[in-house]
Amino acid sequence: MKKKILLVEDEKSLCLLYEEELSREGYDITAVTDAEAALAQLAGTAFDLIITDIRMPGKNGIELITQIMGLRKDIPIIINSAYQSYKEDFMTWAADAYVVKSASLDELKAKIGQLLGA
Amino acid sequence: MIEKYSILSPEFERDAPRELMLLSIISQSFFQPFSLEDNLIVILTALTSGSGVGFNRAMLFLKQGDRIKGEMWLGPRSAEEAGLIWEVLSTPGIGYVEIVEHNRALVSKNEDTLSARLKGLVYAADDESALIPAYAACRKEILLVREASNEPLVDRRFLNLIGVEEFLCIPLLARDDVVGEIILDNAITRTPISPADIKLAGVCGLMAGNYIYSSKLHLKLLDVEKMAAMGEMAMFVTHQLRNPIAAIGGFTDQLLKPDVPEDRRNRNLTIIRDEIRRLDGIIYQMGHFLKVSLKEPVYFDPGPAIAAVLDSPEILARARDYALSVKLEPCLPEILCDPTSFGEVLRNLLANAFDATPAGGAVAVRGYRKSPGAYVLTVRDTGRGITNPDKEQLFKPFFTTKEKGMGLGLPFIKRIMDTCGGKIEVQSRVGKGAVFKLIFLSRERELTP
Repeated sequence: MKKKILLVEDEKSLCLLYEEELSREGYDITAVTDAEAALAQLAGTAFDLIITDIRMPGKNGIELITQIMGLRKDIPIIINSAYQSYKEDFMTWAADAYVVKSASLDELKAKIGQLLGA
Repeated sequence: MIEKYSILSPEFERDAPRELMLLSIISQSFFQPFSLEDNLIVILTALTSGSGVGFNRAMLFLKQGDRIKGEMWLGPRSAEEAGLIWEVLSTPGIGYVEIVEHNRALVSKNEDTLSARLKGLVYAADDESALIPAYAACRKEILLVREASNEPLVDRRFLNLIGVEEFLCIPLLARDDVVGEIILDNAITRTPISPADIKLAGVCGLMAGNYIYSSKLHLKLLDVEKMAAMGEMAMFVTHQLRNPIAAIGGFTDQLLKPDVPEDRRNRNLTIIRDEIRRLDGIIYQMGHFLKVSLKEPVYFDPGPAIAAVLDSPEILARARDYALSVKLEPCLPEILCDPTSFGEVLRNLLANAFDATPAGGAVAVRGYRKSPGAYVLTVRDTGRGITNPDKEQLFKPFFTTKEKGMGLGLPFIKRIMDTCGGKIEVQSRVGKGAVFKLIFLSRERELTP
């Protein structure tokens, strides 16, 4: 069975890129562009991992994580942000990993592998 | 019952005691949005403000590093010039702004002759054996010099420059630190300097010293704030650049794989091109924000500037979708601002109003006199309004509620309003719209007698 990943990313081109690249790695990707859509998806589907951006229009990634924690505490979360400076705080937000956006997807793919025990 | 009084009385009290008048001029000038140099002119002006009051001439030395350097000279060069100046200064109803402007012209007129020679006078600041005038600053003592040519402690170059036998040296002190020195004389009227004059000049010296000290501290503080803002900016720019770079990197990696189908290659190249254009846009906007240098504010008629903004193609194009109304009083006062920046302020506020308001909504520009010396310009919209938490963030750089905004518009406006001694205020109810209120210092176009 393919592992299910929920991707929350408001940048459309990055959404497309992650969808393609992570599908190629053998994951089942659902991509949404804001927190509300992410919560709607979570209500109906049992995801194995969530990747979320921080700065998004509407509810931001931190608010989203707080709400997810109220729903499901066991689901691993990776923060994928362009902000380097938030990296020190990711544990306090109850995320499992923090990957700074860069020109290469290798680190993100490696973290997903680790958290899903691949 | 309560009575209210203005902190800044707009005119001199001609019959007030001269001591009170002098101190009032100096302390009120510190409230004006004058530059350090202009306020120094006010201090020198106050000390030389007329035949019956104060001294004939004043010159200023400022401490720079470990030196005391001649800086500015104020006062008439001849008895005729003195008569003219004193006539201007005794005009009833004349305010600080006029006096500063008049004296700024006087200082620049002196620039080529006396001030230039004065600026050539430089003394060591902590030399106990310094000659007069630096002696007073170095020893932190007020000195009255008489029969200067018989006094070996007086520097001969200085004596040649001022050409009087009697003068007063007032050190400018702040927190035990010397910031400069003022020299006063009665070269035109030849009136002897009285003990009362000396006491009064001493108090003015204390005020001036503290003013110079706090102005310098303020400039240092601005530097620190600027550095902090730069740090915030660097963080924001990094974020802005990383998103397109991540996309460019990822889609390029895909292209480098073998056997990429034609349509996929074209799609990736299109995305990469678009992201590069986006990078270009970000760099352009940042560059624009950084290079904006604020000019010294001046009084000008805002009417033509407002009309130019309202008639500009970009505003006309956007206003088509809205009910845009403009109501200004028929005879506008002059407001204090840099005219170019003023145009940008109005343009920015109108663009925000259009952005926040759905097509068909109303946007209104109003201008009115709030009180003597204060002109208000408001931009009102019927858009989505601003929440209270957002209101607190509005003027911070990089805060934005717009999807593609940089968060630099309102901080820029605030910077301009701060520079010209004005204010910006915002009122809003969510769902009802917002009003941005610009408050400018203003003056009526003709002096009212």
